[in-house]
Amino acid sequence: MWSRLLKAALVGLSLISCACVPAAAQDVLKIGGIGPLSGGGTAWGLAVQRGVEMAVDEVNKAGGLTIGGKTYQPKLVMFDDQYTAAGGRTAAERLINVEGVKYIIGPIGSPSALAVVPIANEAKVIVLSNGYAADILRKSGEGAYNFRAMNSNIEFGPAMIRWLHERHPEIKKVAIIVTNDATGQAILPTLGADYKAAGIEVWSESYERGTKEFMPLLTRMLTQNVDLLDLNSNAPGEAGLLLKQARQVGFKKMIWQVGGPSVDEIISIAGPLANGFLSYDVFDFNDPGAKSFVDTYRAKWSGVINAQTPGWYNATKILFKALQEAGSLDTDKVRDALVKIEGYDGIYGPVTWGGKADYGIAHQLLNKFWITEVKDGAPHALTVLTPEKK
Amino acid sequence: MFSTTILGQVFLNGLSLSAIYVLIALGFTLLFGIMKVVNFAHGAFAMSGGYALYYLYGVLGWPYLPAILLSALFVATGALVLEFLVFRWFYQKMFQSMIGLLGLNIAMVFASVILFDVYERSIPPALDGVLQFGELVIPTDRLLVVAIAAVVLLVFWVFMSFSRYGLAMRAAAQDIEIAETQGIRTRQIYRLAFFIAIFMAALAGGIYAQIYALSPFMGDRPLTVAFIVVILGGMGSIPGAALGGVILGFGESFLSTFYGSAASSFVSFGVVIALLIVRPWGLLGTPE
Repeated sequence: MWSRLLKAALVGLSLISCACVPAAAQDVLKIGGIGPLSGGGTAWGLAVQRGVEMAVDEVNKAGGLTIGGKTYQPKLVMFDDQYTAAGGRTAAERLINVEGVKYIIGPIGSPSALAVVPIANEAKVIVLSNGYAADILRKSGEGAYNFRAMNSNIEFGPAMIRWLHERHPEIKKVAIIVTNDATGQAILPTLGADYKAAGIEVWSESYERGTKEFMPLLTRMLTQNVDLLDLNSNAPGEAGLLLKQARQVGFKKMIWQVGGPSVDEIISIAGPLANGFLSYDVFDFNDPGAKSFVDTYRAKWSGVINAQTPGWYNATKILFKALQEAGSLDTDKVRDALVKIEGYDGIYGPVTWGGKADYGIAHQLLNKFWITEVKDGAPHALTVLTPEKK
Repeated sequence: MFSTTILGQVFLNGLSLSAIYVLIALGFTLLFGIMKVVNFAHGAFAMSGGYALYYLYGVLGWPYLPAILLSALFVATGALVLEFLVFRWFYQKMFQSMIGLLGLNIAMVFASVILFDVYERSIPPALDGVLQFGELVIPTDRLLVVAIAAVVLLVFWVFMSFSRYGLAMRAAAQDIEIAETQGIRTRQIYRLAFFIAIFMAALAGGIYAQIYALSPFMGDRPLTVAFIVVILGGMGSIPGAALGGVILGFGESFLSTFYGSAASSFVSFGVVIALLIVRPWGLLGTPE
């Protein structure tokens, strides 16, 4: 009895090992992923993980990625950075030193990105990250291995304000209400300068993160006779309450958000008072062109699709294209190929790099973006804009 | 800046804030006044009231008044289990109750994270209009809160001052042994006081979640507010809670409008610290 079982087991094992042979013939190409997979930013980390996985699945389904005549099977190795600098540093060191990864997608937040980038540049590892801090690119210098795959407020801010100014030249004064912490202090100078460049006067006020009652603060704003309220990069919960309570204290002028995007959460909090609200948006899931992306996502996962998911899918596809163009795994060659693949058709249209004027290196991907308007309680894409190449 | 319109708006904002603060503080001060229990789980009961209202009014679509009263009633009834398991061991034990109930608060908050997830959601407003008098603007949902707070305060005061149970509660609060020798069944009276306190916490929580937003972590701010109001007015004093709520509400409205929100937080906590030094029993409390 036991000897028969043992024989059966051996036959089974040999069959399994045979089945594995064709897969082992292709080399695995590890793609590192970094993003928050625990805590408040989990939805953003999942966007990195799922966006990269979608691109990886697509390539593997088509038989793998051919680089310099050899076919590789990409595989995601993802680490949690908890949206912190310490988490980002640990994730980058593990990916580079333990896993031997040469290409990283993410991180998504500035604290983590600022920690990952110097380590990656030192090790000549390619990084395609997000994070609004200008120093992510500014401190890297010429020849850096890091790129930013998403727009920051430096990209979308001026384009949005110019668009607004052309349509509403009557707007002369804006209220910018920010948190009284590092985020608020980082946003106010750049955003304020963008408005001033368009000839719009800025009035600003700050509040403590976690505040729920804004009516006194908004009454203070009413005394300033502003024509526009900008919710900038405030967290969805607070932006929603600011919008709702601004309408409740009788502010009838335009309210919009040069930042976010968090339109759905804001509609959920402000209800009918959200009608007429305009916001920055990074994807239009209702667009017919987005259907295949949405269908592929739905085949694997359920629930709300985080708006940044297409951006990470896009970043991974661009990296794969650059690897093919370079015809080599050498990161110097891949970096040079990345810079040269302008015009490759990504999910946001042809790839365009910018940022030379703002950061000293043209490693900023300029993605088209949307301005969404809330009408009858639902978001509708109002226009599509492209950041200016500087 | 000190125009009549702005001053009027400051007054109205102050009135609605005071109403919310008084409602939040009443249940907290009652538990302390009668049983000497510092209810650190107050915020968690307020949050439970928020979720109960969300399901009854927001999801099932019950009419507003029955929904808000029944949601508070459900939470208070369910809380009787916690009274049996946890609270009754902490009666007359002020310091033990603080730590024990802080633990209960954490357990309730994270149970809600598992049950309802962490995302903020909103309860549809009962009234979403805005009344306009000249340049003055009053959101109707805030007027409703003022009305509910006024009615609750009145009913509560009548109950405590004129009913036999209210009298029994006050007697038990003053001296439990003498109350028992007079034939008052303090175990029952305590349970009744607990039930009323949680009912009011849940009612306030429902209203708070409806005006702002609902999430498992929404109870932190009501707990802080309850503490400030009750320390200002005097721990355990019902008129003190009303006075404390009014002072904090109008103070915050005035200071935030004219000097910004940082000045407002600074002054409210500054006043509480100063009061704890010169009059630790609060404005209307009684010294131990």
